[in-house]
This record gives sequence, C-alpha cells and structure tokens, in this order.
Amino acid sequence: MRYDRILEDLLNRDDFLVVGRSVVRTDALDKVLGRAKFTADYVPRDTAVVKVVRSPHPHALIEGIDIEPALELPGVQMVLIAADIPGENQIGYALPDQPFLNDVKTRFVGDPVALVVAADEGSAVEGADAVRVKYSPLPSVLDTVDALRDGAPLVHEGGNVALTTKIRKGDIEKGFSEAEAVVEDLYDTPYQDHMYMEPEAAYAIPEGSGKVTVIGGMQSPFLVREKVAHILGWNLNQVRIIQALTGGAFGGKDDMGPLVCAKAALAAVKTGKPASLIFDREESVAYSNKRFPARIRYKSGADKEGRITAIDVDITLECGAFANRAPFWLWRQTAHAAGPYEVHNASIDGRAVYTNKVFGGSFRGFGNVALHFAAESQVDRLAGELGMDPVELRLRNILKPGSRTTCDQLLDHSVGIEECLTKVAEASRWSSRKRKRNGSKVTGFGVSCAYHGISTSRSTPDWSAASLILNQDGSMTYRTGICELGQGAPIGHAKIVAEITGAPMESIRIEVPDTDSTPNAKPTHGSRGLMLGGTAAADAAIKLRERMVNVAADMLGCPEGEVDLRDGKASRKGEPGETIRFPELAEELYHRGVSPASYGFYAAPKRYFDPETGLGVNYSVYTFAASVVEVEVDTETGLCEVVKVWPAMDVGKAIDPLVIEGQIHGAVSQGIGFTIMEHLKLRDGVVLTPGFKDYVVPSALDTPEYAPTIIVEEPYQHSAFGAKGVGEPAIISIVPAITNAIYDAIGVRLNKLPATAEMLHAAMRGGAR
Amino acid sequence: MRPLPEFKLHRPTRLSEALELMGALESVKPIAGGTDLLPLMRDRAIAVEDIVDIQELHELKGITVEDGALRIGALTTLTEVLESPLVAEIAPALREAVGHIGSVQTRNQGTLAGNLCNASPAADSAPALIVLGAQARVSSARGSWKVPVQELFAGPKMNSLGKDELVTEILIPELPSGSGAAFEKLGRRRGITLAVVNAAAYIAMDGKKCVDARIALGAIAATPIRLPEVKATCKGKELTPEAIEESSRACYALVNPVDDVRASAEYRREMACVLVKRAIVKAHARAGGGR
Repeated sequence: MRYDRILEDLLNRDDFLVVGRSVVRTDALDKVLGRAKFTADYVPRDTAVVKVVRSPHPHALIEGIDIEPALELPGVQMVLIAADIPGENQIGYALPDQPFLNDVKTRFVGDPVALVVAADEGSAVEGADAVRVKYSPLPSVLDTVDALRDGAPLVHEGGNVALTTKIRKGDIEKGFSEAEAVVEDLYDTPYQDHMYMEPEAAYAIPEGSGKVTVIGGMQSPFLVREKVAHILGWNLNQVRIIQALTGGAFGGKDDMGPLVCAKAALAAVKTGKPASLIFDREESVAYSNKRFPARIRYKSGADKEGRITAIDVDITLECGAFANRAPFWLWRQTAHAAGPYEVHNASIDGRAVYTNKVFGGSFRGFGNVALHFAAESQVDRLAGELGMDPVELRLRNILKPGSRTTCDQLLDHSVGIEECLTKVAEASRWSSRKRKRNGSKVTGFGVSCAYHGISTSRSTPDWSAASLILNQDGSMTYRTGICELGQGAPIGHAKIVAEITGAPMESIRIEVPDTDSTPNAKPTHGSRGLMLGGTAAADAAIKLRERMVNVAADMLGCPEGEVDLRDGKASRKGEPGETIRFPELAEELYHRGVSPASYGFYAAPKRYFDPETGLGVNYSVYTFAASVVEVEVDTETGLCEVVKVWPAMDVGKAIDPLVIEGQIHGAVSQGIGFTIMEHLKLRDGVVLTPGFKDYVVPSALDTPEYAPTIIVEEPYQHSAFGAKGVGEPAIISIVPAITNAIYDAIGVRLNKLPATAEMLHAAMRGGAR
Repeated sequence: MRPLPEFKLHRPTRLSEALELMGALESVKPIAGGTDLLPLMRDRAIAVEDIVDIQELHELKGITVEDGALRIGALTTLTEVLESPLVAEIAPALREAVGHIGSVQTRNQGTLAGNLCNASPAADSAPALIVLGAQARVSSARGSWKVPVQELFAGPKMNSLGKDELVTEILIPELPSGSGAAFEKLGRRRGITLAVVNAAAYIAMDGKKCVDARIALGAIAATPIRLPEVKATCKGKELTPEAIEESSRACYALVNPVDDVRASAEYRREMACVLVKRAIVKAHARAGGGR
C-alpha cells in the first residue's frame, strides 16, 4: 500500500485531524513539573549500589585481582569478576572484541575489571578503591597514526585495523582530468560527549529464580534484553527490560544501555537482591562512548561549469579500544561521501583503527557530521577556486528525483534538497548578504547542505512492530518498543494512531516499552523511531480501524465507505447527527466478539549492496537539510558566536512541526558545541575534562536567533503519511555552515575542530587576510 | 558520585556565637551559600569535622550606604548584588563582574563574600573589587579589622583567613568624580563559564589627563593580581586609543600565566592585553574621558 496516501486512499478525507499540526505533547506537563519518572526515581532507598572497578592504564595485562580487601569492608556485599559471569564474557556490538569484565588485559583507561556491590554509595566507592588489581602495563597507541605504524603495539590480536570499506564508481582519473579546479585537504574531527542531562542508569530486580527485571535508560530494550541474557547465559524470556523515560540519549544510550543494564542485572542475580548502577557525570564523560574521531583526506574536482567531476576520499576512523558501531559508522561515511550531490566518478576508502582510548560509538549524525564537514568545506573551496557562488555551485550538482547517490542508488522520489537550498537562500537573502564590521567583530555567512540515509546501515533488514488495544471505555492503549528520549517519537506514533482511528489524543495512553509486553520495534536510532515505528503504528491503527468501521457501519446502517471516525465518535459522512461514541462502539466490539486489539508490523523495502564496489541500494530513503548561518568573530580574541540560523529540511511529511523545530533547535546547539566549544582533552589516555566545568557545551545563552524553520514535504511512499526521520539530519549541515561562515568572516579555514577561540586566534595570527 | 563526607553542622543565630564556635572548634569551615564548599568537600579537596552555617546571622545581610561608601553584608547573595540599585549606581563595575559569576541558580545561592573567600584565581568579583579599592571586614572572637580585598587571596583556592576568622562585610569606597571603573571577561561561552582571563580597570581623569589608574587581572596567576606598572604608563597622559593600546600591550610581559585545560599560557598573555585595553577604554569613558 502507498503509506503516504493514507489520508486520500483510506480515510477518504482531504483534511488532517492532528497530523501536520503542532500540538502540546501529552507528556509535556509531567516533565515540566518534575513528575516524569526517570530510572533513578524508581530506585528505593537502601537498594544495593554497584560500582565499577576500572583500569587506570591505557593498556595493561592483568596479572591478578585480589578482591579480599574489598570484601573485608563492612558495607561491601559482593565483588564480581570475569569468572563470576554465568554466560559469555563478551559484549561487543558488531565484533566480539569487548569483554564484559576484563581478566586478561585492559585496553583503555576505564576498562571494567570488577563490580563491587555494596550497601550504599560510600561503601561502594571505598570497595572499588580496595580491590587490588595487579597490572603489567603494555606500550599503548594513542592515535591512529601511531596505531598504523609497522610494529605498533596491538590493541587486539589480528592488527589495529578493525575493518575497511570501499566504493569504486566511474573513473576518477578521467574525472580529475576534466576538472578546472581540484582541491585536496585533511579534515580532523574530535570526540564529542553526549552530555545528556541524565547520566547512564539501571535498576535491576531479581524475580524469584530464573528471571530478572531491569529498568534503565536506553534506546533499544530488545538489544538490552539480548545482551543481558547473553551475559547471564539465560533465555530471552527470562529477562524483562523496561525503558524508563530517558533524559537524553543522542545515540549514546544505544551503546551504554546494554553495558549498564547488564552490570546491574548481574549484580542483582548474583546477590539475589535488587541493585542499582547510576553513573556520575565524571564516569559518564571519562568512560562512556563518544562520537568517533575521524580524519578524512578529501580530494575533489569541478569543471568550468561547476560540475563536480570526481571525488577521491580516504577515511580513517578512530575506534578507541573497541569497534563497537564502527562498521556501521564507517560504512555510512563511505556511502554518503559525495554529500547530497550527483558525482559519477568516486573512489572512497575507509578504515577503522583501534587505539588505547575510550571507545567511540553512536552519536546523532552517525559519521555524517565528520563526512559533511569535509565534503561541504570542499564544495565551498571549489566554488572559491572557480569564482562561483557557493549556493550556485551546490545547485549545479544537487541530487534531484532521478539522480544517483554516491553508491549509485537511483533516487526516484522524495528528494527535496533543491527546494531546501533554494528556499533557505531566499529566506536569508543569500545573494545580497553583507559582511559587517563592528569594532573588532566581523560577521560572515555560511551555507551547507546535508543528506542522511534513514535507519540502519549495511542493508540490515529493517522492520518494526506496535500494538494497539481499544479498551471497553473507548480509551486506547498503545505499545511500541520505540523509546521516548525527549525527542517525542512515540507521541508522533500516537498522532498517527489518532489520525487513522479518530481517537482523541488524550484518550491514547502510550505505555513505557517493556519487553514482556511490548512488540519489538527494533532500536530507536538512525532517525527511524518515527518513520519505521510510526508506520508499524499506522499498520496497527489501520487494522483496528477496519473492525471499528465494520461494526459502526452496521450500527449506523450505512456502507463502510461512509463511516467517518473523528473526535472519539463514529458517524455517517455528511450526516453528523447520529453518532456513536467510542465507549459505545468499544462495548459493541467486545459484545460481538470482534477483536479490539491489533498488532502492527511493517517491513522496509529490501536493500542490498555489492561489497566489492560498495554500490547498491543502501538506505530506503534520505532526509535532506540545508542551513545558512551567520557568525560573528571577534578578531582580537578569536571568540566566535553563532548569531542567526536559517534552517530548512525535507521531512517527507511533518507529523508535528513543533517537534521538528525542537529537534532542529536542539541539534543546532549540539552542532555549535561540536564546532566551536566542546573539547575533550586527554593525556596518556586519561580524560582531563570529565564534567561540565571544563567540557564546555552551549548554554541557553549561546542559542542563536532562528529564522522560521522551512519545512519541505516530499513524501516517502513507504512510510506513514510520507514522514521521514529528522533527529540526526538536523545536526549535520550546521557544522560546515558554521565553519564556512567563519571563513567568510575572517578568511581562516580550520580543518581541525573544534574551532575554539584560542584556535581561531592562533589561526588568524598565522594567516589572516 | 562520592557522597559528602560526614560532618557536624552548627547553626548559630548571633555573630558572636558563630565567632566563638569558629574559635573553639578544631577543624571548621563556615558555610553561607555552599556553592563552592560543597563540591570541594564531595571531591575531598576540603576535609573538616565541623561546619558553621552562618545563614541565620541576619545582621550580615543587606546592602547599605554609609558616608558614600557601599557596605555589602557577607550574606548578601550575588543576585541581590546584581539587582541592587545602589550597586548599579555606585559600583557598576562590580555589577558587571557579578553578572558573569556562575548561573542564575548559583547567584541566587552564592554570596559575594563567598566568591572572595573561595579564593579562586578566576573569581570574577575580585578584579572589580580590587580596582575599586574595596576592603573586607574580617571578624573573629578577638576583634574585627579591615583588609584590602587583594589580601584575602593567598594562593589557588587558599584564602588568608585564620580558621577562626570570618569575612562579615565588603566595603567599597565612593569613587571620586571624574573617575570610572569597568570589568571585562573572556570565557568559553556567553555565560556560566569560568574565566579564561578576566580584568578590571579603574581610571581617574583630571580634564584630559589621567591622574590615577588601577588594573587587576584574574585567572592569570595563583591569585588575582594588580598591575601597578600600568598605572605608571597611564598617569599624566591623555588616554588616546594609541596610548591605551600601548599601556595594555605592556601587560604581555608583566604576566606569567600557566597552560591548563582552559587555555594556553600564550593565549592568556594575549588576552590579558586585549581585556585590559577594553576595560581601560570603558573605564575611561565612564570617567568622562574623551568628553
């Protein structure tokens, strides 16, 4: 079925009830008033506390672990080491390279060695300090250049390259020979911490023997269940995972959820008593996953008309101690390498490299932030070389319906980037923009485009499920495994259900994800929560609607095609006089023995790629974005402020414009932080900035002025109402737009982020125009 | 997170009682807002057995003017300083500085005296109070006396107070006519941030001629520092933009900052010059200079 045509084909209406309108989120009040319950709110006083004993060395052999001194302390109840794990001591995501508790060697400062279970926080900290681990330090590799040297110390047996990727398309030599301008440079992007307001947390409760419940912050309850069961050596149905409302995740908790929940679960199962593990900020910043650093060498050429004739891209991704999501991250960078432009000749190579540092992992934008920083800087430089306006050069290469992507994927519909760019240039009066100087401060303007394949990389099969129950009183219970992380995806599902069934929003209750009762919706990542999860919701709602319409038609004495469901009532179209309220309709369903529950399932179109050439259909659809940014740089201090942002995005169909705006504004702040402020400093593998004091993120005061969000709607045929994901695409274009604007202001291009005041100051001294 | 270590809390209601307690107890610290003390205790940077909570000493609250001088009680919160019309009128440079301290929440809780007694080299209120010639009244069971604000600072996070001594008020003299002061800060974002460098200047003019200049810098040494050398280069001169540039440039050689996670020493030197220049320009304008 054409999911983008539900309104016309199924509902037979020409107006939306709730879709496309900005509504006040049904969970807003509880969150504002502090009534919403997060993981730590569930933990009763006097629950045992779990503390992780961690390696102080970047790379070391473990020669012995003496837990006795810790056990002698009064509050300490148990100390768990690798030998205590009933299942398999392995929790690597993509590759089996990450022991759950280390007993052979440790690979970064913070690598877990033991768990201390104690009566209270103070005893747990003392217990962790008292565990005696005898280490024999090994030489370490602390950057990718060192890691790739011959004879470099090996982080893992088998070499420091975890995996490689490649794409070969067309003929780059021919492409470069046709180029009028060729530019080449290196682009370095650093770690970024998620800095979610709520640090990682889990609370585990043993349920008799052979069952454990874990409440925690996460993005994928079913992945957490799988990993917890794996560590415990149990069946999936012995583990119950409940996702508590999660106070920000941004990808981080997709990786950290399993790690933290499994530790709490092991402690609870081993002690037979409830146990909690709640990270403090320092642990979260120093030891949790980060945005993978990347170094990208990018060469591109364009002909006299500004057509990009070839790209030659080489990506080195720094994994840190474990590959974690690197295969997916690196593939995404490889597959998007040309940016949202049609380029016929492309050669792309990627490698993910181990180092003895904190491991990288999922983070909003998933590789595309670093990739677009390089690609969009290059596009601006080509425009400069050719004396062409940067918007004009982009428009001459931009993806359109019928274009082919970096991977040679044909885009036959839902390609709105040209409209995004044209509209954002108009709104910002791009062609008549003027640099202003005010004392030591200079303004500048930058533009950038972005595209982001929605959902998982590497052609992983993709599907989602949801369930919907019409209760006897006419209210509805909706269940999805898609997690509420602050972004509002489940509320979007509820709007889709409301639109299709005619139920009032306030009558739909969204249950928290619980693996014992919630259908598996697959993870809340890859900007798939609304698009995939919401289409499963639509499937459930359509099935329930059919039964509601069938019974209502009989009660109203009219053909099914004439039944209208809205405002919690069924009536005959054009005859609103006789109505059946939903409580009455629900009673009738139960009375007649018509099932009031439905299970929705949706599978995305199949994707595939050729591992030899990297070509194929990599993502079922792409979300597109364009931004114009105005910055002001103080030429005396180097301090850069983002003054104004003009955002545009092709979202397919806006289920809720306000939620989209929330995603964009949040992503812009996160992008500003990444570009000009956030700086995770390490020395010998030790994180020196483990907190808000010195890991500086933008505050509300640093929020720029926003032009009204330009929403472009090029519907996707295979998702509910045509909607595409927005969470990640929102951050990608903002980063190069800022650096391009800085160049416009002061003539300095920093290829190594962050462009902090000090870095810009130094760069200006080095080569100001 | 490490929990707070255990301690005994005392809550006197009279100053004399508080001072007696401070004198009698062996291992003791006073607490007002606690915005600096509690994190330090949690991190084990400060370990004490007794805490004397001075928040019930209502006599230490409030902002008054006596003989043209501002008197700010030690319990006055930073928000109260920021919102005081008296401070805005008499010491606008202090108001500027206090507006840069912490967040709204910290300013609601923290006190001006606490910002000084915490003795952070980056304390935003310090450079402003130093150039304003402010003094702190220190009291103990043995008596009470005044010390220049500068002398409260002994080293990074170390004040010069004896364990039985309490700052009870900050006194800011009235500025002579034809003078002005200003505060400048460079942080890593627009607010809620520790200073990379901060600076304050006081300029007194007689007609077109500068007759007095006081410069102070923070986050550049173990304590906030004064730069008396700059006074010599300003005094007796007309403060043209070139003269100000030259005087502030001299800061480069006068400071000896360190590298840390917030900035390199070299950047701090450069920024000391920029901020001093900006502070002098603003103070000069407030002094009526250039009119």
